[in-house]
Amino acid sequence: MKKETFQYPSLKARIKNEYRIIFAAFVFILIADAIGQIEIPLGPGKLILFPIFYALILGVLSGPEILKFFKKKEVKAASKLVIVAICPFIAKLGINAGASIEVVLSAGPALLLQEIGNLGTIFLALPFALLLGLKREAIGATHSINRESNLALVTDLFGPDSPEARGSLSIYVVGGMVGTIYFGFLATMTAAAGIFHPYALGMASGVGAGILMASATASITAVYPDMAAELSALASTSETLSGLTGIYVAIFVGIPLCRKLYTWMEPKFAKLRHEPSEVLMRKEEKVEEA
Amino acid sequence: MRYIEWAVMFVVAGLGIGLANFVGFDVNFMDSLPGILILLAISLVAVVISKLVPLKLPIIAYCSILGLLVACPISPVREGVIEAVNKINFTAPLTMVGAFAGISISDQIKSFLKQGWKMILIGILVMTGTFLGSALIAQIILSLTHAI
Repeated sequence: MKKETFQYPSLKARIKNEYRIIFAAFVFILIADAIGQIEIPLGPGKLILFPIFYALILGVLSGPEILKFFKKKEVKAASKLVIVAICPFIAKLGINAGASIEVVLSAGPALLLQEIGNLGTIFLALPFALLLGLKREAIGATHSINRESNLALVTDLFGPDSPEARGSLSIYVVGGMVGTIYFGFLATMTAAAGIFHPYALGMASGVGAGILMASATASITAVYPDMAAELSALASTSETLSGLTGIYVAIFVGIPLCRKLYTWMEPKFAKLRHEPSEVLMRKEEKVEEA
Repeated sequence: MRYIEWAVMFVVAGLGIGLANFVGFDVNFMDSLPGILILLAISLVAVVISKLVPLKLPIIAYCSILGLLVACPISPVREGVIEAVNKINFTAPLTMVGAFAGISISDQIKSFLKQGWKMILIGILVMTGTFLGSALIAQIILSLTHAI
């Protein structure tokens, strides 16, 4: 087995570098949980604000680009701490799943198959991206929800300077900045529309990004408090499945499908926008070379 | 990370959960403690497994599976675990996650603003499509299998 390389020479060095982050996190908890949950009626549904949102915003504000409390190296250290802090939460959801195991098992086929539904991004977002004039960036941007593992995959497949990797990185940044709040909002709005059974919404919350799942699940359990245990059980099982299968779905289905649809749709959208088509130009170049 | 680094950082996370559960939900720390210890123990075992098993799975996958195992009907400690962990409110562990996540992206604000409205709109559509796609298939299969 490969020997692990350590980020710090010792525990002491880690604490020395990270004590300010930890201290700030406790202050943010004091502020955020003192404010507590706020519900704002909005259209047919409501926007539910959770302490996690306030803590997230406080964190963003305190960084090197606004209040300058944290330096670059602390920003880098914080991303590892996200994983540490989310472990106990995921363990709690696992326990919920064990406690409601009957619901999870009876929903088994739906749980497995709804993983394919994560590809819904391609069908919704790719046409819009082409309509807005994106070219190969659109493949990286819309093939998946674009969290860390997807960004790494696209960068690896197409190269760090490729348009595909630029598109993936863009959506990664956008998702990090607005995803947590938007995903919770999306879940409550969909719940308010009343089209889907709450169980379906629970499963849909697990998309392979822990913090997005947390936000959506917190929101739907606030809308359906009587089903809180079952909903978080379904969300956590779906999240675990997405975590296990997500990268393979992207490699074998998401990216190839996105490329196929791009090659087919891009010339049509280019015509609509009165622009030269990137796909057709590449084809011509190939013919000339031959 | 060394085991000792994981262990100390998990204790920090546990204190964060206890604080959020007290400030936000008036559960005093001693009432939260058993649940917190269970969650931290599972997390630590998950780290050990992820280091020992050559299969490259994310640590949180092990956390989730271990949690499910200790709380499933054949587990001898099921009742006690569920009761203790139920004292930890659902969103209490999340505040600290939000704090760290916020700090970890705090150097991306300029980059975010540079993306422009098109990428922000596409990002919103990517999330919407992923969520609704799953919900739609889940709804259809749940209906077909008469699970709802």
